[in-house]
Amino acid sequence: MKRVFLPFLVGILFLILQTTLLSSFPIQRIRPDILLIFTLYLAFSSSSIFGGMLAFFMGYLMDLFSGNVMGFYTFSRPLVFFAAQFFKERFYLEGFYSRFLFAFTYSMLEGFLIFILMNAFHSTPLRNLYPLLLTFLLPQSFFTALVTPPLFFLFQQGSLFLFRQPEKGITEKV
Amino acid sequence: MRVRDLFLFRRYHLLIFIALLLLFALVLMSLRAKQRKGVEFFDSLLIEICSPFQKGSTFAIKTVRGTFQRYVFLVNLEEENRILKQKVALLEEENHRIIEMKLANERMRQLLKFREKNFASMIGAEVIGHDPSSWFKSATIDKGERDGVKKGMAVISPAGVIGQILKTAPHYATVLLLTDYNSAIDSIVQRTRAKAIVGGKGENRCEMKYLLRAEEAAVGDVVVTSGLGGNFPKGLMVGEIKKVDRRGHGVFQYAELVPSVDFTQLEEVFVIMEPLPPAPPQEEKGKKGKKTKR
Repeated sequence: MKRVFLPFLVGILFLILQTTLLSSFPIQRIRPDILLIFTLYLAFSSSSIFGGMLAFFMGYLMDLFSGNVMGFYTFSRPLVFFAAQFFKERFYLEGFYSRFLFAFTYSMLEGFLIFILMNAFHSTPLRNLYPLLLTFLLPQSFFTALVTPPLFFLFQQGSLFLFRQPEKGITEKV
Repeated sequence: MRVRDLFLFRRYHLLIFIALLLLFALVLMSLRAKQRKGVEFFDSLLIEICSPFQKGSTFAIKTVRGTFQRYVFLVNLEEENRILKQKVALLEEENHRIIEMKLANERMRQLLKFREKNFASMIGAEVIGHDPSSWFKSATIDKGERDGVKKGMAVISPAGVIGQILKTAPHYATVLLLTDYNSAIDSIVQRTRAKAIVGGKGENRCEMKYLLRAEEAAVGDVVVTSGLGGNFPKGLMVGEIKKVDRRGHGVFQYAELVPSVDFTQLEEVFVIMEPLPPAPPQEEKGKKGKKTKR
């Protein structure tokens, strides 16, 4: 039960942090997307079905609290999750740089996907948003990637602490 | 045959699950586009569950920030005399509280004056959260359907236009900010009365759409609401033109404006409750955008 509800609660907590604490940064471009980082971590630590549903739920929450009326994140977050899960064993992802690159790539890819969806669903071409790819997406992806290695470490320590079962001899990460 | 089907299902169950999940997301997109009631109910339920935490978090952040501003930066200055330090800290704290109260009082008086002067039926709301994504621009406020807030209502502040109500829950609502690329507000240039639609440019900038090339608009011109959209009263400050470009071809010219409201400092806003009386019927002229104004 704990394994099901805790990730949901952590997802909600991160959403709240993202909409309050991280939004109070004076420079919006350096605001890391901690919900994306959590989604990427889920790709490593949970099963496809449960993680996929959680990624879907977090995408849904993102859409709910944003000015995004269509629900792009409900679509993009599970996609990011499954893509990350598909590629997780093809790369060595233990060091700082590999995790940084991993998160940076997915943040950029999701940004492009959202951008394509926005253009596809909008009645007129959104030419004025093109500069944002450089001025906003790039710095934001960089800072998201920068925060990823320490957050991954914290998630690992947290799950070790919460889900260890010494009486059964289980102490590995979940 | 059935056994074979079952085998195939087991073999491809993950792929089927992924396809179903993504398909469901696409169906949701379609339902949202059609504004179906079921989705809206589920949305408002989730907003209602999450927003109190958001409100609590905003309160905690404000309190912690206030504490830091009041105490932490003063600690090093008060090492020499402990008693004096305590007295100074107490006085400082009291002073800060008085200043804070004075500022809040002034702000409230200004808001009240603005309210009395302009519109009788407005409701004040506090901003409790911002958009989790940087692609979109919205804010969550602590007033909802129970307070009479409805979709499409105008949200303003003494500094000018803020946006429109996008989603509602019983006690909370989401405001689509003026700077969002989906935003569209009927406006006029105050000096020349040139009409245009003000839309967001993503960051803290807006652009004027459908501003005729023949119309005059210059840098520094003030843009106000036209009152034609139905949601916003006439004459509310939208922003100031910062750039005009007539180099391109076509019927329209391009103008960029800076909103009069600083969206990074949003704390209190007003929701205009009473919709304006419907505009007298006019002949529809050519331009009929696909996009509906929310």
